Amino acid sequence: MNTAGSCRGRQGWLDRRYDITPLIEFLRHKEVPLGAHSMVWYYLGGTTLFFFSVQIATGILLLMYYQPGEATAHESIRYITTKVPFGWLIRSVHCWSAHLMILSLLVHMFSTMMLKAYRPPRELTWISGFVLFALTLGFGFSGYLLPWNELAFFATVVGTDSVKSLPLIGHWLLEVLRGGQDVTINTLYRFFALHVVILPMSCFGLIGLHLLFVQRQGMAAPVGADHAPRGMKFFPNFAIRDLLLWLICLLALLVLAVFVPYGPTIPGMEWELGQKANPLAPAYPGIKPEWYFLWIYQLLKEFPPHLVGLEGPQVCILLVSVLMAVWALTPWLDREAQRNQDSPVFTDFGVALIFFFTFLMLKAWDIGALGGGQDPASLRAIAWTCGWWMLAIAVVVTAVRVLFLGDRWLVLSAAAVLHVVLHGIVGLSYLSAGAIAAGLAALPLAARLKSGVQPVVGGGAR
Amino acid sequence: MSMLYAALALVLTLVPRAWGTDIGIDTARGESFVLPPDLLEILNAPGDDGAPIIGAEERGYFNALPDHAKRQTAEAVSRELITTPQHLGEILSLGLASEKLERLMQDNCVLCHSNPDVHEGATLFSTDPTGVGSPAHMNLAEVVEDLHSRHGLSCAGCHGGDPAGFMDHDFPEEWPEDADIRKKDRSWIPQFCGRCHSNAAFMRRFNPALPTDQLAKYGASQHGRFLLDKKDSRAAQCVSCHGVHGIQGPNSPRSKVYPKNIPETCGACHASAEIMAGLTLADGSPMPTDQLDKYRDSVHGRALLERGDIGAAVCNDCHGNHAAMPPGVTSVGQICRTCHAGNGTLFDGSKHKEVFDRNGWPECGMCHGNHAISKTDDTMVGIGENSLCTGCHAQYAKHNPNCNETAAYFHDSIVELNHALETFEVRAERLAEKGLDVDLIADELNRLADLVKQARSYVHSFDSSDFRQVEDPGREVVRKMERLAEDAEDEYRARRTGLLVSVFLIGSVALFLYLKLRRMERPS
Repeated sequence: MNTAGSCRGRQGWLDRRYDITPLIEFLRHKEVPLGAHSMVWYYLGGTTLFFFSVQIATGILLLMYYQPGEATAHESIRYITTKVPFGWLIRSVHCWSAHLMILSLLVHMFSTMMLKAYRPPRELTWISGFVLFALTLGFGFSGYLLPWNELAFFATVVGTDSVKSLPLIGHWLLEVLRGGQDVTINTLYRFFALHVVILPMSCFGLIGLHLLFVQRQGMAAPVGADHAPRGMKFFPNFAIRDLLLWLICLLALLVLAVFVPYGPTIPGMEWELGQKANPLAPAYPGIKPEWYFLWIYQLLKEFPPHLVGLEGPQVCILLVSVLMAVWALTPWLDREAQRNQDSPVFTDFGVALIFFFTFLMLKAWDIGALGGGQDPASLRAIAWTCGWWMLAIAVVVTAVRVLFLGDRWLVLSAAAVLHVVLHGIVGLSYLSAGAIAAGLAALPLAARLKSGVQPVVGGGAR
Repeated sequence: MSMLYAALALVLTLVPRAWGTDIGIDTARGESFVLPPDLLEILNAPGDDGAPIIGAEERGYFNALPDHAKRQTAEAVSRELITTPQHLGEILSLGLASEKLERLMQDNCVLCHSNPDVHEGATLFSTDPTGVGSPAHMNLAEVVEDLHSRHGLSCAGCHGGDPAGFMDHDFPEEWPEDADIRKKDRSWIPQFCGRCHSNAAFMRRFNPALPTDQLAKYGASQHGRFLLDKKDSRAAQCVSCHGVHGIQGPNSPRSKVYPKNIPETCGACHASAEIMAGLTLADGSPMPTDQLDKYRDSVHGRALLERGDIGAAVCNDCHGNHAAMPPGVTSVGQICRTCHAGNGTLFDGSKHKEVFDRNGWPECGMCHGNHAISKTDDTMVGIGENSLCTGCHAQYAKHNPNCNETAAYFHDSIVELNHALETFEVRAERLAEKGLDVDLIADELNRLADLVKQARSYVHSFDSSDFRQVEDPGREVVRKMERLAEDAEDEYRARRTGLLVSVFLIGSVALFLYLKLRRMERPS
């Protein structure tokens, strides 16, 4: 780039008015740290942003034909997929991109967790990312109802019903979400407003902030290093790589949209339009939410109606709230990472959570069910089959961690595996197995945390 | 925040629990009526183990009753119609709606006849009649739900006496007082029920829409002839089908004459070799008892008993009810036409009609049978092994080659159209899975399904030119679907080509970027 030449041209014209030279200098010198771990984790925020942009573009196109309403919502989606030129492609890309965005976001978030990129001074980047994650789930939940088909209708009935377990505000929140006592066309109207106005506007602001934080601070260097040993120029080297990956993502989207237009058709990952919703029809059994909500759907099923004097779903929601709170507050809880040291407890916490979610998800898919039934014998068979699958997955993951990554502190993930073994293979109930595993893990965890909590010297990593 | 939730939820859950657990008897409960001591004594009377004889569930039920129901119970106790906790416990265990309990508490007859301290055996109502040695019709749970009782016809309506007065039994004159005579010769029963049910002016007061010709019809029925003329008390009368103390309207699923229960009600006698012994059909052969078994396996029986389709034909739809008679050869076809009108009309216009009439053959029954009518399938027509045609035709029309030709043509056409229907269903499904628009194909599939159904019906015209009226449109629909499916397959090919072009273009840009990156980063 010839700065001197540019200053006389368009850049000079802009510079005299907006003083953009510092910005260009910033970009020119911006570097991406290269270090102990693979660079692949740095791209996931970018791919998430790419899928989000695809959502915005395809969403706008869908909006040109979609008409929310009792007599039009389902019909207009059918019209889009059958009559509008390339409508089938736009809807299919929108659906695929939504799922891939959430997948990419989850991997992005978990990789940030594992690499401890949330440690100071990047706490707010983590928090803004966490809120963006919550908003994305909101996108998924609200968008699901818009085709106004049977499956979405009943899944929304079940999904919104679970908020009534919240103490005090539960019933009020249920009515706010549904726009009345029941899921009706009013629910569709407010989900539509949420999906196309409220959530996008909130996301734009937060994504801007999140990107600003990342740009101001740069990407986190590996734990233990004050500065990355090497760096790669952000512009153009990293930016071209980003662009290359985006093109590959676009290709993948197109191929998937043409060859698998309605998704892999497994519960929680299918979007065939199906029958129009009929609020008067009885709900059929086996209604399941999207795959990223399956774990909470299954967890609610594992709780009995009453537990320790509370309602089962209330205890479940409490447990989920605690997990979410710990997750959100990780930058403040992880004292070792604050000191720019390895924090194996939180690495293991991340792995344990992945085990916890995966086991619930496998169970929610009824893998190993006897004749598709939900009788006790069939539920037992599901727990047994999923237990063995989960155990196999956990053994592979743990072997990789121990042999290749050198992880040695495995208390929480071991507790998650013990939970799987006690419930799935030994045959204890999900909750008693969980209580035993949590109880056994509590002691070494407390000991570790106690030894890990030392005064923070020097105010953190950087 | 989560701790706050926990604390609030704990308070919200535990506080109401502390209120709702008491299942003792509330004496006042903040209401105006205070339970009198004699009722309280019965309610709280302890058993051998010290716990109240009346169980927690029954006491909970009593507690929840409104004041006036409690007051009626107290009065029944004060009049000494209820004297023991066992008796009251049995009544409360019925879990009746409060208005039904109140009616029972004012019914001296049932209260006295359900008190094991006063009655036993044949005259005791109980929730477990066989357990206490009473006949099955002395069922307390049934009598309190009886239709007559709901309309104000109490015991005295049939048995005589004054339920509010003294304990004298003043039987109506139609009621044979001698139990032996009453049971051996049941011919008095139709007249007895007819006192009210044949009286239009009287019945109008309760159910103006109810017919009042049952007695007249009964007299003309086979059952009526046997009972009234031959005094054969095996013959069914009112009570045999409607019951005694637990009578329900015919629309109630608990009624013995509700469609789903009719096969068992009729079968109670007609499937019993003992009851049917010695009875013969018009041709002198013994009365069969396999009708119920055959019906259960028939297309009608399966529709009614397995699918719960109460529109399916059941015994009385063909035989009648109060005027029950076996349908004669001449009328059986007409009875089938009440539901299968289209097939009947086609048959009427066919050349078979005249031959059947001439030979006195039952129209539908000749091919389809009666109690064991099986579900039709396409092999029944044609010249194959299962064909219903060949049996008679080999005997009566063996010199007419057209018959077999026509039958084979019907069979082949129906099978071809049906095969097209099944094939296109699968093809449309596959196209839909690929994300293609199959709405038009689905419309044509619906049309073809209708036409195949009609083709099966048009067989009953026994005429190829009539049959072509549905076969030709069917074949046209198949041709149209073929065109639509090919269009959709072309569209899919176009999509794949478009994808290939896009992959090439995007891939080229990606390749260009990759090469540029390599050139940029080549160590110089």
